[in-house]
Amino acid sequence: MPPESGPMALPLALLQQRMAAALLAADPARQALEETLFAGVRPGAVGLRVHRNTVLGALSHALRQSFVSVDRLVGEAFFDRMAIEYARAAPPAAPQLDVYGAEFPDFIAGFPGTERLPYLEDLARFDWQLDEVARQRGAESAAASGPPGAGLELEEAGVRLDFLPSLRLHRARYAVDRLRDAILAEDTTALEALGAAPAPQAYALWRSAAGVKVQPLSPAAAAFLAEALRGGDGASALAAVAAEVAAAGEAGEAGEPAVVDLLTREILTAGFVRIRTT
Amino acid sequence: MDPIPARAGIGLRIPHHEGVLATLPDAAWFEVHPENYMADEAALAQLEAIRAHYPLSLHAVGLSLGSAEGVDAGHIRRLRRLVDRLQPGWVSDHLSWSLSAGRYLPDLLPLPYTEEALGTVCRNVEQVQEGLGRPLLMENPSTYLRFAAADLSEPEFLSAVARRTGCGVLLDVNNVYVSACNQLTDPVLALAAWFRALPPAAVDEIHLAGHAVVTGPEGDELRIDDHGDRVCDAVWALYEQVLAWRGACPTLIEWDTRLPEFAVLQAEAARAQARLEAAALAGSPARRSAASRLGHAA
Repeated sequence: MPPESGPMALPLALLQQRMAAALLAADPARQALEETLFAGVRPGAVGLRVHRNTVLGALSHALRQSFVSVDRLVGEAFFDRMAIEYARAAPPAAPQLDVYGAEFPDFIAGFPGTERLPYLEDLARFDWQLDEVARQRGAESAAASGPPGAGLELEEAGVRLDFLPSLRLHRARYAVDRLRDAILAEDTTALEALGAAPAPQAYALWRSAAGVKVQPLSPAAAAFLAEALRGGDGASALAAVAAEVAAAGEAGEAGEPAVVDLLTREILTAGFVRIRTT
Repeated sequence: MDPIPARAGIGLRIPHHEGVLATLPDAAWFEVHPENYMADEAALAQLEAIRAHYPLSLHAVGLSLGSAEGVDAGHIRRLRRLVDRLQPGWVSDHLSWSLSAGRYLPDLLPLPYTEEALGTVCRNVEQVQEGLGRPLLMENPSTYLRFAAADLSEPEFLSAVARRTGCGVLLDVNNVYVSACNQLTDPVLALAAWFRALPPAAVDEIHLAGHAVVTGPEGDELRIDDHGDRVCDAVWALYEQVLAWRGACPTLIEWDTRLPEFAVLQAEAARAQARLEAAALAGSPARRSAASRLGHAA
């Protein structure tokens, strides 16, 4: 016979709120509920501990799946520490855990113990962006059934550029593509050199049939893509390129490739664009 | 919509997608967690290709049907979109909750089996069934604690949900075993309580899985439903009892943690399939007679 309702019966909403708070609490004093709420052969605290391990373990696992290079860089135990603190501070609002963790890069910026990894936040943003692009449809299936991506016309050339829906422009303060490669290859020498000083870099990221592609971009090509992805037209995108080329020339930091050469090299021949004559 | 056959199916996880698409292995049907496809267009494209070759069931983990604050309407819409695209044979979720005050906790958290909770679950199940335009199956979870406030046992509670809402029951035999062991109850007696509470026809699907045995800080043994191992012998024995009571029924092998090679899942499904065939044979007098003449009855 199940026991009858006793004085410790709580309204369901209150019970669930208190249980959720107990499961997420870091302070041991706040992790327990009154034992008179429970009637099992074991203390309720034992069951709560199982659920706490499941909840925090699942959230840490979800973050580890998205932040692959951060995990490899700091190690499993330290990653769990950061992930569990984040999970307690910002649990998900919905059950699609593969999109949980958008604010994790902000959270771990300056996390105690990471002072010697000034690029950690940038690395985390890159991990996140790669994971997001990986969840997009590949070029073939996107063309068949996905929503259209951005595009623009270059009137003087008589062409229209259609970008893959998965295309993202990503900017970082460090060369995060090479940092990530060094981490995954456990190349500590390269890691030390790359992490020694900021080296701002822009990237095009997109999903091909073979997986996620990463292409470093010059500042001018990044300006073109930024304008195109913002919904700008061909004229404004070309103007953005010209401004970048001029700025680089004035500063003496780069040569002065012709706009057409630059577009041909970095945009028109890239895997993320389809070209149609108009 | 292809109905789910009364055969042994396999819980399909994304790491096995490419292999399944490349080889189209022998499998009666697949079941997936829909939440894994709601924000992953690449995985969904693969699943749609797989669906063209196999019956499919959607086993949700995020509806939070026991939440006092109700079901997230956005999640119902996301699930409906998948249902419309994939045309699954079944859609199921658990007798549990995971959403409170806007926070989603990724676990199947237990309910007190009170009249208040019964009203909440029925209201939520009806809302989901209306949103999806089809009945749900409701699964018994593994439990690690029991609330003092209880008007009904778990089998009585789930039976009442099925009667009031018209939903079906997904009986997880491993969960019956894990819950019984964790409450130091005889699993055979626990299963008998399910047989008393439910008509056999209420059960539309069966789940089988492995679980972990851990020792707590007080030295006590706990069984954790981690879906990370082969089905244990005691659960196979309970499954045979369920089949003798229910007759052949779609049965799923679930495996989530430490996911093995697909062939291991096929081998586990083959063990379930052998028991399903034995149950079908035993359940039909004509077949029993024929088998006897062929010397297979013993």
